[in-house]
Amino acid sequence: MAVNEKNILNRLYFIAGCMFVFGLAVVFKLFSIQFLQGEKYKALAEKRVVKDVVIPANRGNVYSVNGNLLATSIPKYDIRIDALTPSAKNFTKYLKPLADSLSKFTGKSSAFYQKELRKARANKNRYYLLVRNVGYTDYTRIRNFPLLSLGAFKGGLIVEQTTKREHPMGGIAQRTIGYERVDEKGNVTRPGIDGAFGVKYLRGVDGQRKKQRIGKGQWKPLRDANEIEPKDGYDVYTTIDVNIQDIAHHALLEQLEKYKADHGCVVVMETKTGEIRAISNLGRNKNGRYYERLNYAVGESHESGSTFKLMALAAAFEDKLVDTSDVVDTEKGIITYYGKKVRDSKWGGYGKISIARAFEVSSNTGIVKAIDKAYRKQPEKFVDRLYDMNLNSDLNLPIIGEPKPIIPDPRVKNGRWSGIALQWMAYGYGVSFTPLQTLTFYNAVANNGVMVKPRFLREVREFDRVVEPFKEEVINNEICSKQTVAKLQALLKNVVEKEHGTGHRLYSENFSMAGKTGTCQKDYSNKEKLNYISSFAGYFPAENPKYSCIVVIHEPDKSVGYYGADVSGPVFKRIAQKIFTDTPIVDEIETLNVKKSSVEKEYEGYYQLAQTYKTIMPNVVGLPAMDAVALLENMNVNIKVKLQGSGIVKKQSINKNIKLKDNQTIVLIAS
Amino acid sequence: MQTLFKNIKGDRLIWAIVALLAIVSFLPVYSAASNLAYKGGGSNTFAFFVKHFMHLFLGFAIMYGVHKIPYRYFKGLSLIMIPVVLVLLAITMMQGTVIDGANASRWIQIPIVGMSFQTSTLAAVVLMVYVARYMSKIKDKKITFKESVLPLWLPAFLVLALILPSNFSTTAIIFLMVIVLVFLGGYPLRYLAVIIGSGLLMLTMFILVAKAFPDAMPNRVDTWMSRIESFSNAEDTEADYQIEKAKIAIASGGINGVGPGKSRQKNFLPQSSSDFIFAIIIEEYGLIGGLFVMVLYMWLLFRIVIAAQKADTVFGKLLVLGVGLPIVFQALINMAVAVELFPVTGQTLPLISSGGTSIWMTCLALGIILSVSAKREEIKEKEENIEENPLEILSETI
Repeated sequence: MAVNEKNILNRLYFIAGCMFVFGLAVVFKLFSIQFLQGEKYKALAEKRVVKDVVIPANRGNVYSVNGNLLATSIPKYDIRIDALTPSAKNFTKYLKPLADSLSKFTGKSSAFYQKELRKARANKNRYYLLVRNVGYTDYTRIRNFPLLSLGAFKGGLIVEQTTKREHPMGGIAQRTIGYERVDEKGNVTRPGIDGAFGVKYLRGVDGQRKKQRIGKGQWKPLRDANEIEPKDGYDVYTTIDVNIQDIAHHALLEQLEKYKADHGCVVVMETKTGEIRAISNLGRNKNGRYYERLNYAVGESHESGSTFKLMALAAAFEDKLVDTSDVVDTEKGIITYYGKKVRDSKWGGYGKISIARAFEVSSNTGIVKAIDKAYRKQPEKFVDRLYDMNLNSDLNLPIIGEPKPIIPDPRVKNGRWSGIALQWMAYGYGVSFTPLQTLTFYNAVANNGVMVKPRFLREVREFDRVVEPFKEEVINNEICSKQTVAKLQALLKNVVEKEHGTGHRLYSENFSMAGKTGTCQKDYSNKEKLNYISSFAGYFPAENPKYSCIVVIHEPDKSVGYYGADVSGPVFKRIAQKIFTDTPIVDEIETLNVKKSSVEKEYEGYYQLAQTYKTIMPNVVGLPAMDAVALLENMNVNIKVKLQGSGIVKKQSINKNIKLKDNQTIVLIAS
Repeated sequence: MQTLFKNIKGDRLIWAIVALLAIVSFLPVYSAASNLAYKGGGSNTFAFFVKHFMHLFLGFAIMYGVHKIPYRYFKGLSLIMIPVVLVLLAITMMQGTVIDGANASRWIQIPIVGMSFQTSTLAAVVLMVYVARYMSKIKDKKITFKESVLPLWLPAFLVLALILPSNFSTTAIIFLMVIVLVFLGGYPLRYLAVIIGSGLLMLTMFILVAKAFPDAMPNRVDTWMSRIESFSNAEDTEADYQIEKAKIAIASGGINGVGPGKSRQKNFLPQSSSDFIFAIIIEEYGLIGGLFVMVLYMWLLFRIVIAAQKADTVFGKLLVLGVGLPIVFQALINMAVAVELFPVTGQTLPLISSGGTSIWMTCLALGIILSVSAKREEIKEKEENIEENPLEILSETI
């Protein structure tokens, strides 16, 4: 196989040539990646390595009118452990201490945690949940537990921070304060104030920051500053008064529980401004417990029943077709129109009574007859008058879900009008309002005819700066003439004040109220299901009203009671009563310092002695011990007084009229 | 220093190229170290710098020491070393380090020093010297295939068989290099065909056995399969991930590169300081940097060819080629992987990649080459009177 050098070299050149070609191929490929595919991979580089991280803006807080926090965002932490990260040595060393600490924290046994953690490690669980939803303080505590304190890379600690919306006042007014919730499908639900003003004020503007990946799932910021600085949301100051809200909530809750009602709501509104001071909506769940379920006050329209009699009479008074002193025959409590009967709650009716009394006793027949007589020929006029009082339009509230009121109109063909529509309307059937819409009208009466829009917001602030103040909005400057308003006010006042009034049970000597009861049948088309809506709308004090308030309770247990005065009235009274103790009608009280003659006399005697005896022992027997001590210690000599017992001095160790020396001790014995 | 330089023998240009590569290596290795330090939970990147420096320093010491040895001694040394290497390989395989359930025992702990050592790399150098020795021994004989089986192919296949379960790519490269070397040594081509055939046959058998009895021994057959598959199809696999990152690195480097230490992909490329260091070099120093490294290796190839040409004996020639070509070939494979010309393998970029074994064994090989070229210098000095060929002068200088 003779090999010579030439032979080797030839073969070598071949091999070297091959390698050179290989080298060229590498260079060619290099060029191709750089120049032909360069853009693609550069883009890919950006995509894989750089990402825009959203820095969520802090959502603004919701405050009550007194500055209490109603809704705020706080960080919550989920803490997990990567059971594989810790070294075997660390794991065995710290397993028990960690389990002990966790056990102390959660109350589960240490053995449970030891077992679970061992299992997690055996199963290569790199994401084992230790605790969920803990606050910052707990998070800092858990972070320092054995093993976890070694950190993410040695201890396997995984911390995930989320921001949760909290309502510090608990369930109170929760539905009205609201929230913004996004489900898995991306649908957003936004009830209440938080929902209504979330997008515009609370949310703020999210920031953005470019981050670069640095391996191990870690990202570092690309630049010092954020690309887009997050702008925190504004704070929203509501008109809710926490105290009134609390009163309303508990008054309503108590009554709902008493009457085992299905649900109910209460709204308290400041008369002059329309600011909602309290709004409580309680519904019953399967277990019979009540909590804020739906915003009934804003969203649930129902037939008003007797509370609408005020609107009906307002129209008739304004048209000067009916007056308070008109006499109407209630005809034994039953009147029939087209075969349908209007009944009074009192069997046998009220006889011939004035319109005012018909209203006060809430006589259905009386009011219906008066309205029928006045408008039978011209029902459009009645409807138009209601329209003039803005009863047909919704309140255009920021909180979503407010339905439009329903008023049958003979000119509108929507199936609502019928031969008995006018009569039925007169006592609140066929018409439908939300509690807040009804309250707005009652408030207008309280406010001398000025209808103001109910509002939930006082102002929007960014720290101390007011971004947007909310002024009161007048819907109608004069819903009716001054005379009509005065009549209506008198009627409402008499409902409570007059002994025959349906609201007389609410009457109190100490404070005045005005209002109208309402007991409305619900589901009356089916006698089996017949139920009631008990309501009470009114305001207080009766003169110069400060607040108006409506209470609506749906489906009270009929066996317990269902009349508006019984079911809803007490809630109204309790609220009025409690607010009154906070805001008395009488601002000035006579001085409490009533002089008492015996006290005066004692003081005189004491003063006399103190003025007379400066260095000579006085007779203190018979004086109160405290006076005696004070007297002696205030003399011009430094003496020590020793008191035995208490009450009236019986004995003194030094007799009277003896000159006292410095540092002398006097013993007083009292009983 | 002066005396040290005086004592340096052999091809000065090879020394220069090696020195350049070593200097260049610090940049990407130090850059990639930041990620290693971060992942290791430490913060000291300088430790990696020092470590790399120590590796290179020791490498140069080996190179210097080896090149002082007259190269004829390597004949005997290789005979002694072959059984030693076989034992070491066996030990390495036995200890059974496992990566993700696959045999990845490539390392052996050196007692006392506490360093780990990749035995296959040493085995490759020893085997190449051994083959070179055999080929030069039979240079004047006409041998039959049978005659060469026992002294040549048995040790070769034994070595390869011991490396194969844990490292296919190294086995393949060594096999290819052995083939190249025996080809250069004038081994009949028809015998070569038989050898290549039987080599493939053995590989197939190994794979089949491994597939049939997956629990019989831990092996990496599945890893190879997936890597080759991922190279040939479009599905996303882990290897694709590495390659994609490498290509991103190359693409974002552009012509001038992003600058020293500014590589981003080093954070995501596994083995950024060894297997994929070429991609990092291009990302940081651009096309210019990449081509510079390529040129250095090509230049080294050229110098190896020159050294082989000038070697005074057939053994010298085969020795230079036997240990020299694998260095360049490995470099080319490494670069080819980075540019997706080749499936992902664990080949390092000689002298540039971090990692002691690779550096030391490369230095050992270079030491052997230099030893051969030093011998030639000696002869040349003795024959000063030989007339000078201008072409020879030229090739001496470039």
